[in-house]
Amino acid sequence: MLTILILMPFLCALGVLLPVSKYFRLKLFGAVSLAHSLFVASFWKEFPPSEYHGFLVLDSLGLILLSIISFLFLSVSIFMIGYFKHELGRNRVFVTCLFLLLSMMTLVAVSYHFGLLWVAIEATTLFSAPLISFHRSQQSLQATWRYLLICSVGIALALMGTFFLAIAAHDVHTLLLPALLKGAPLLSVNWLKLSIIFFIVGYGCKMGLAPTHSWKPEAYGQAPGMVAVLMAGALTQCSFLALLRIAQICNKTGLTDFFSSILILSGVLSLIVPAMFILGERNIKRAFAYSSIEHMGLLVLGLGLGTVGLFGALFHMINNALAKVVMFLTAGSLAQKYGSASADEIRGVIHIYPLTGVFLIAALLAGTGMFPFATFHSELLILNAAIISKHYLMAAVGVVCLGLMFIGIGKIILNVIHGQPKEPLLAKKENIYMNVAIAMAGILLISIGLWMPSPLEKLLHNAAALIVSV
Amino acid sequence: MTSWVDVICIVIVFLSLIILSNHRVAAMIGVFALQSFVLGLLPFFLHASSISSRDIMIGLVTMILKAALVPYILFWAIRHVSMRSEIKPIIGFGASIIFGAIVIAGAFWVSLSLKIPGQPASDLVLPCSLSTVLLGFMIMVTRTRAVTQVLGYLILENGIFLFAISLFDVMPVLIEMGILLDIFVAVFIMAIVVNHINEEFEKNTASVVQSNMGETF
Amino acid sequence: MNIIFLILSHWLIVLTLSPLFLGIISKVKAFFAGKKGPSFFQPYFDLQRLFQKNSVYSRTTTWIFCAAPIINLAAVLVLSALVPLGTFKAPVKFSGDILLAAYILGFARFFMISAALDTGSSFEGMGASREAFFSCLSELALFMNFITLSFVSHSISLSAMIGANFPLSWTLMGPVLLLVVGSFFIVILTENARIPIDDPDTHLELTMIHEVMILDHSGVDLGYMLYAAAIKFFVFASIMVPIIVPVQSGNTAWDMLIFLGGMLVLSVTVGIIESTMARLRLNRVNNLLLIAFALAFFGFVVKMWRM
Repeated sequence: MLTILILMPFLCALGVLLPVSKYFRLKLFGAVSLAHSLFVASFWKEFPPSEYHGFLVLDSLGLILLSIISFLFLSVSIFMIGYFKHELGRNRVFVTCLFLLLSMMTLVAVSYHFGLLWVAIEATTLFSAPLISFHRSQQSLQATWRYLLICSVGIALALMGTFFLAIAAHDVHTLLLPALLKGAPLLSVNWLKLSIIFFIVGYGCKMGLAPTHSWKPEAYGQAPGMVAVLMAGALTQCSFLALLRIAQICNKTGLTDFFSSILILSGVLSLIVPAMFILGERNIKRAFAYSSIEHMGLLVLGLGLGTVGLFGALFHMINNALAKVVMFLTAGSLAQKYGSASADEIRGVIHIYPLTGVFLIAALLAGTGMFPFATFHSELLILNAAIISKHYLMAAVGVVCLGLMFIGIGKIILNVIHGQPKEPLLAKKENIYMNVAIAMAGILLISIGLWMPSPLEKLLHNAAALIVSV
Repeated sequence: MTSWVDVICIVIVFLSLIILSNHRVAAMIGVFALQSFVLGLLPFFLHASSISSRDIMIGLVTMILKAALVPYILFWAIRHVSMRSEIKPIIGFGASIIFGAIVIAGAFWVSLSLKIPGQPASDLVLPCSLSTVLLGFMIMVTRTRAVTQVLGYLILENGIFLFAISLFDVMPVLIEMGILLDIFVAVFIMAIVVNHINEEFEKNTASVVQSNMGETF
Repeated sequence: MNIIFLILSHWLIVLTLSPLFLGIISKVKAFFAGKKGPSFFQPYFDLQRLFQKNSVYSRTTTWIFCAAPIINLAAVLVLSALVPLGTFKAPVKFSGDILLAAYILGFARFFMISAALDTGSSFEGMGASREAFFSCLSELALFMNFITLSFVSHSISLSAMIGANFPLSWTLMGPVLLLVVGSFFIVILTENARIPIDDPDTHLELTMIHEVMILDHSGVDLGYMLYAAAIKFFVFASIMVPIIVPVQSGNTAWDMLIFLGGMLVLSVTVGIIESTMARLRLNRVNNLLLIAFALAFFGFVVKMWRM
């Protein structure tokens, strides 16, 4: 089952390299994404059996990520049908890389071996790079370059971490997760600590945590909207899954405090830094990128705080992904309509494209964690965890930073929505596919926010239990 | 054959130092190829008494990918452009050699407190690989050309590999191959990006962007 | 009485053998250039010719200019007394004589540079400034090598360092010695003004370092300078050869033969390098010297790590 799920997009990637029509590629991508989602939906009923001697296993943590990936690809594939109506360029490399990305992200979600996990995450980095420079302007190439370089170094450090873990596990003789968990007392603590540091720095680079976040505004600012969605919603969370896996080991070896303290530090830093930069930002996509850094900070903060925070972080993974769909797809469709994502170019959206205007407001609310959207709940859970664990200052800093974020993004979006359009715009029609893709995620996000279905709750509890179980 | 492993470790660090002090991109790529070749020799000396098929395979794949294909791709990436030499590194060449020496000493000092469990092939492996990683990192940070930054990344990877090849057999061969392949693809994509950057530059040299990009590329 | 006899015999060997190796180097270079080249003994003839001539002194020069060649020759002779030559033990040895060795070199160089400045010629001034800069860096590498070697051999006397039990050391300390040899070789090339640092045959004052400094010396003085240079190369080579070829058979004749063979190979190597490489651009030379230092330092670090 899992093999099929990985191989299907991979083979399709090879298929679309052939000279087939542009629309066939899009349709195939839509079909594969749909099939992928159906498979994943079936996993909610019953987990598939493990494959390849336990290298490929789907557990609750993996299922959360896999569902996110699947949903994101589905909505992107719908969005793309509309997007490429107005895009003249070719899409061979683009769709190929999307397929490969889907394949590798699936592998991330189901790999139970730390080496394999690394290989898959590195592959996602590589296949997402060509997507950023889709428009191939100088700025986008520069952004791609920065992304490639920073993430490659980060990933190389994570590889070092993997090897250190292997040394720590010298007496266990394998890097398979269950064996590591079972043989936790045999692990050498010093090496494990070293490997934890390298893992956090390495995969943190890939997540865009604060000191190494500089690629994010560039890359998300230049990438087409749907690529930004996949990167902010799925790619970064793939690395978060790696951190969750390490958290499992830390918990077994009693290194949770060590692990948590680093995570909390980088989490708080990731809350503060974007809040400082957001106020001067004029580009919608870049502003959303800062918001993404903020969300990553919240995730690791939640993981660092444990228990309630952990539950909040897992919940936030889902909400963050859905919110990113609303945010970046709206920004992407706006950027295509106006030819730019800069707030100086775009004016009066609500008058010309009422529906997109509504989506923009939804994006603002979802991205900054306002009520009916589920992001509100998960952020509240994480801040709550800070208060429960008596980190009052941290909670206060978090609230202030989130407030600044709201002001920063709100300023841009309200500017964009109102005001007079600069010139009588030849209003392109709103595209039904684009709007469906955005609306789907928005509605889902609101409905989770209003009422959490019991299977989801159960899944989150199970996943949290994997990490904090004794 | 411990001493041969020692010598290989030392030579790898030495070659990183040479790359650090070099200013001609083509020469740097050549030295990198040599370094990778030496790295590829390592598996053959590890278990001198009984060379397993695993050793042979890893050695050969390392040589083919890193000592032949990757340098070839890099040469391809710099062929069309006037990218012959690193113009202005952030830290001068002389200063970077001194820093390099300090970095090596630091790596050795750090490794003092780390004890590798089991029986490592040589006690020089850990400090030497750390040194190489740090030197590669230094090259990445201090050099301003895209190609030289890729080279820095590759040296960093070589350092990690020095460590990986010699220390353990925990990784299944398939995954080790996956790691190598990933790195190869990384370089491939980086080379393509470098090439695109060059093309963009030849198309419009007077653009606004160049003012802030010219530094980097 | 005995010690004086030893020193004199030591100097006799040094004085008779040292020009031969310069002859070998130029023969190798001639061979690579496809020429027949001068005889192996050409340096002897040159010296003989120079010693028969009178010196000419410019009116601007002072006593420093006259003293420098003699001091130079005297200094390298004193240095040679500290260095064992194959089976011939060094007549003078005491703990810490590596420092003396290094400073004798510095002393000789100081007078050479002063004499070059004394001429008041801009070319020689330029050469002097380059010599001062490069020797400053090469001294760094030289000291680092000495430090590493003294840690390997647990002594700070040249005789003990070179005469130490290197066959054992190579198996234990292979990587360290490899680095030291590499670094020391660069030092030899620098100290003796060889390609790729300096070109002894060039006639362009703008690019020369060592040669331009002795441009104003003539006759006997020039002979002293050349002789000093030949001895310096000989001494450096005889420090390096026992490290590379640590064979000690016990048979004196064999050992001496091996030593001389090593010297020969080293000279040929230098000759090959001179024929195949080009001189480095001046602003790259310091990088090479810094690499020599880094190598020696790396060797030191490895040595400390292995302790």
